[in-house]
This record gives sequence, C-alpha cells and structure tokens, in this order.
Amino acid sequence: MTHFQRYRVTPWLLMAPQLIIVGVFFFWPSLQAVEQAFYVEDAFGLSRQFAGLANFAAVLHEPDYYQALGTTVVFSLSVALGAMAIALLLAVQADRVIKGANAYKTLLIWPYAVAPAVAGVLWMFLFDPTLGLVSAGLESLGIDWNHNLDGDQALLLVILASVWKQMSYNFVFFLAGLQTIPRSLLEAAAIDGAGPWRRFWTVTFPLLSPTSFFLLVMNGVYACFETFATIDTVTGGGPAGATTTLVYKVYEDGFIGQDLGSSAAQSVLLMILVGLLTLIQFRFVERRVQY
Amino acid sequence: MATLQLSALEKRYPNGFTALHGIDLAVEDGELVVIVGPSGCGKSTLLRTLAGLESITAGELAINARRVNDLEPAERDIAMVFQNYALYPHMSVYDNMAYGLKNRGVAKADIRRRVNATAELLDLGALLDRRPRQLSGGQRQRVAMGRAIVREPQVFLFDEPLSNLDAKLRVQMRLEIRRLQKRLGVTAVYVTHDQTEAMTLADRLVVMNAGRVEQCGTPMALYDRPATRFVAGFIGSPAMNFLPVTVRGERLELPDGGELDLATGLDDGAELTLGVRPEHLTTLPDGAAMPASAVALDTRVELIEPLGADTLAYTRLAGLDEPVVARLDGEHAVAEGQTLRLVLTGERLHLFDAEGQRLAERRCAVDVVS
Repeated sequence: MTHFQRYRVTPWLLMAPQLIIVGVFFFWPSLQAVEQAFYVEDAFGLSRQFAGLANFAAVLHEPDYYQALGTTVVFSLSVALGAMAIALLLAVQADRVIKGANAYKTLLIWPYAVAPAVAGVLWMFLFDPTLGLVSAGLESLGIDWNHNLDGDQALLLVILASVWKQMSYNFVFFLAGLQTIPRSLLEAAAIDGAGPWRRFWTVTFPLLSPTSFFLLVMNGVYACFETFATIDTVTGGGPAGATTTLVYKVYEDGFIGQDLGSSAAQSVLLMILVGLLTLIQFRFVERRVQY
Repeated sequence: MATLQLSALEKRYPNGFTALHGIDLAVEDGELVVIVGPSGCGKSTLLRTLAGLESITAGELAINARRVNDLEPAERDIAMVFQNYALYPHMSVYDNMAYGLKNRGVAKADIRRRVNATAELLDLGALLDRRPRQLSGGQRQRVAMGRAIVREPQVFLFDEPLSNLDAKLRVQMRLEIRRLQKRLGVTAVYVTHDQTEAMTLADRLVVMNAGRVEQCGTPMALYDRPATRFVAGFIGSPAMNFLPVTVRGERLELPDGGELDLATGLDDGAELTLGVRPEHLTTLPDGAAMPASAVALDTRVELIEPLGADTLAYTRLAGLDEPVVARLDGEHAVAEGQTLRLVLTGERLHLFDAEGQRLAERRCAVDVVS
C-alpha cells in the first residue's frame, strides 16, 4: 500500500464506527420511512402495494391529523417559551449568587440527567387523581384535578413535565451566556442611570439574543420530537387525543394502529415541517440577533 | 463644576483583605488628578469606590460637600470611561451616547441636540449609525468619551482609558483628553499605571502603593522631591538609580569606595540610599577639572540604548549589583565595553533612610527645591 493510499484510507477507518452507527440507526430507517410512505402494507407486513401519494392524501384529509397539529402548536409554543422563560429567570438568579453557586447550579442541572420516561412517571404520580400529592393539594383548594378525564388538564400536565425536563438544558446555556457579558457593561449602564430592571431589558437581554435564538430552535425541535416518552408515560396521548402531538400520532398510527404507510407519511410530513420551521427561524430571526 | 473630598476612605473586602487604608484626598473644581501606581496598589478600587461600583467600608466621600457614600452610581452624577470602553455592542454610536440621557428622561429633541453637539466635538458625526464593532480602537475610545461628556456630569472618572491603544494613538488621545478636560473645565480623576501618561496629564499626581497614598503633588514636585524611595523609583523614566551609601562623618561612602562630600550631620555609620536620576549623571568633557564637591564614578558600559536625542548607558559600578543608568546626550560617542567616568555632583541628589523615607532637606537636595 502506498503512502498516498494509506492517507486516503485511514480517515475513513477512523470515522467508520460513527458512520456505521449513523447509517444503521439514522439513514437506513429514514430512507425506509420515506419509501414506506409511498406503499400500502397489510398489518402483518406480508404484502405491500405501491400507493403513490395516497397515504399523504389520506393523512391530510383526516380531521384527527389537524387536531394533533393544533395540539402540537399549543404544546410546542408553551414548552419552548415556558422552559426558556423559567430557565432565564433561574439563570439570572444563579448568576448573582456568590456563595454556594456550584451547589445551586448542580441542583438546577439535575433534571436533565433524568430519563424522559422516568420524568413522566414522576409527574404522573405527583398529579395522580387518587394518589398524587399535588392533586390532593389542588383538591383542598377546590380544584378538581383529573387529567385522565380532562383534556386541558392533561395537556397542561404534559407541558409542565416537558418544561421541567427541558429547563435544565436552557439553564446551562443561559448561564453560560450571562457569564460572557462583561461586568463593565452592566456597570456602565448603572452609571448611565439604568436600574436593575432596565439594565436587564436594555443590556442583558439583547446581548443574550444569540443564545435565546439557539435555544428557540433547540426547544422547538425538542418539543416536536423528544417529548414522546414524557407524553407516553404521563397520558398516553389521551384523553380522547387531547395530548396527541404529531410525533405521538406517528407512533400511535404506526405501532398501535399498524397503519405503517400512514405513519411513515406522517413522519415525512413532520420532518418537512420541522425543517421548514428551522429554516424560517434562521432566515428571519437570526439576522436580527447578531450585533 | 464640582469638588471631590475623600476623608480616611477605607475599603475592606469580606475576606479580610484591605484594599484601601484610609485615603485622604481633595480634588479642586476643574482639576485633573491622576492616580498612579503599580498593579494591585488599589488605584482602580479607589476609582470604583468613587463611582459607587464598590461600597465604602469606612471614611467619607463627598461630591460638592454632599456625602455620597451610600448613593447609587446613577445618583452621584459622575461618568466613567472604562479600560475596555464598555460600549453597548448592540447599540449604535448614537444610542450608546443617548442611553444615559434616555434613562434620565431627557426629552427626545434635547437628546438629539446634545448627542449631535458631542459628536461634533469629538469628530464622531459620520459614525453615529455604526455599531461599536465597526469602529477602530481610537474611535471606540472617543465614543466612550462622548458617552461620558454628553451627560455633563459633575465628575469624570477614567480607568486606564488608553491602555488598549497602540503607542502612537495613546499619545494622540492623551493630548485630546487633556484638551477636552480643560475646555470643558470638568473635574476629573484619572487612573493609570503609566507614569509618562500620569506626568503629562496631571494637574496633581497621587502615587499609590499597597492601598496607601505615598505622595500627592504636582508632577514636577514629585519628580524633584519624591517623599519616599518608592515614589522616587516610580516617577521618572528610566527609573532613578539607587546606591547604598554609608555615612562617614561629613562624607558619604559610595559602593565603589569613593566618597562624596556632604555636610550631612547624620549619625556616623548610618546605612542610607542615595538616589540619582539618569539625567542628572553627567560626563566630564576631556581635560575639564572636576567640580568641587563632586565625585567621579568609574563605570564600565554594558549596554547602550540610543534613543536619538538621548542615549541611555547601562553601566556597571564596582560594588553594586544593579546597573547604573545614565542618560547621555545623543551626540555622545559611547561604546559597549568601554569605561565611562560619570560625575556625581552634590546637586539633585536624593537621600532615603532605611525605611525608604526621604531625609529632611540636607545640602544634597536643598539645591533643587524651588
């Protein structure tokens, strides 16, 4: 083997483990899903038939799909904005703490280390209509909590659980962002007569905008895709589809309903949707956050 | 405009470190006081306590005879120019300058008029729409100045504002700051570690060391009569030469064994430090006689630094580890390795005791007192 050939081969060898993993677990299934979206298959996977765009047409004519789309919009916006707002508040507070700052930070980052399904179970028990501590507390306040029956309450609960889970991630980034803002800027603003509140909104917040933008994209993706486990453990998409988001519907139709063609078509649509949203964010928001 | 009064001002941190040990200082109306000292001497801390960015542990701070110890920075009516300029990166030059006025609820038309006038003064008119990152270092510096000027504060505080600029720009901005400060007649406190900057800018100079004021006075007074060995070594460039000397009756014994005739009246055998500036060491023209009461230092030249107008000669004197530096005329032909006879006259000498305090005026320094 010549030196030149070895030079060409070694990089591929070094990248091979990663490439194989990405190929097997991402590209292959993705391509399978795209292919599947154009076929109708029987429930046992014994035979299939090319269907063209029939799967997509069926999905787009289905009222349930639009209900899931609406749920997803409400859910994603609430989760992204809620998780970011709370994380920013906590990060600003943690940034000011001097004694025991590390303890605070560690505690606030913890929820991120909890598996989504575990987090879901945790919230499910807290709010369980008969056993839950929180629901018992709510009951004493005269609020009848039963997320197994009330769709709005169920949606609120999965939003809470997802916000709690994502908050840590946002917290880390906001805290890092805050620490890159030079102290002297805030001191200059203080001398310039801006009180703490005004300093935050006219100096700190604008300077955090690149971080906020990045988190907006990441939280959007998180809310659309990664909340599946939380929803599955807390409500299972119910009651009556009140917490069925697009990604949950993909799972429900595909793995429960065994309608693989429709499920595949939905996942392709979801992929396109999230891609478009991210593109829009980059085109219209990003140019406004650079300074 | 304003006077500034510091009485026994003290700053102690919660960890027990005392940054300022009772500072007394009075700044007159329209005066530019420069605080100079080595890193960690407390000069920046002092400026930050004046600004209200650090709390005051003890003592009193008054602006225009009004106690301001517990006022917020915004309420003290001061402006500060930071070392890194601290311009708001997301705001245009105009907004940077207008920010302080907006916060104080100044009317829009007034803001526009004042910002434009200040921009005119600083030659920033064409840059008002730019963001700070689109400006050069010198322009940023001017915007930082503009942000301070536009508010028409009682006191200007400068925290090493020129240290991020290159040498040429630094000299230029130094002159500009001086010109502006005189023109606006504003009281200013200026912190720097650069003694050239300090000497050239100051109406009055405050030399700080380890959280204390070593000496305070006009630049020339500090140059001519440094109160301590520290001030003597800090003011002047290149730094003053220090020779350990011993009192022998009416004479001082130099490290190389030579003796200087001084009517000292000091205790026999006392160990003192004799200070002489490089520019006060002279050479003897060929054939000229030694002046009375002068002593020759026979040195060997180790290194020369030709500066054009002057040449610095770093020479070695027997019995002394430190080189003796002499500032010679640029025309003076001197080569490394040659011997050089330097003349130490009885004039313009400084004597310090073992604690580094200047000795009460003897003949050695009386000559230069004006």
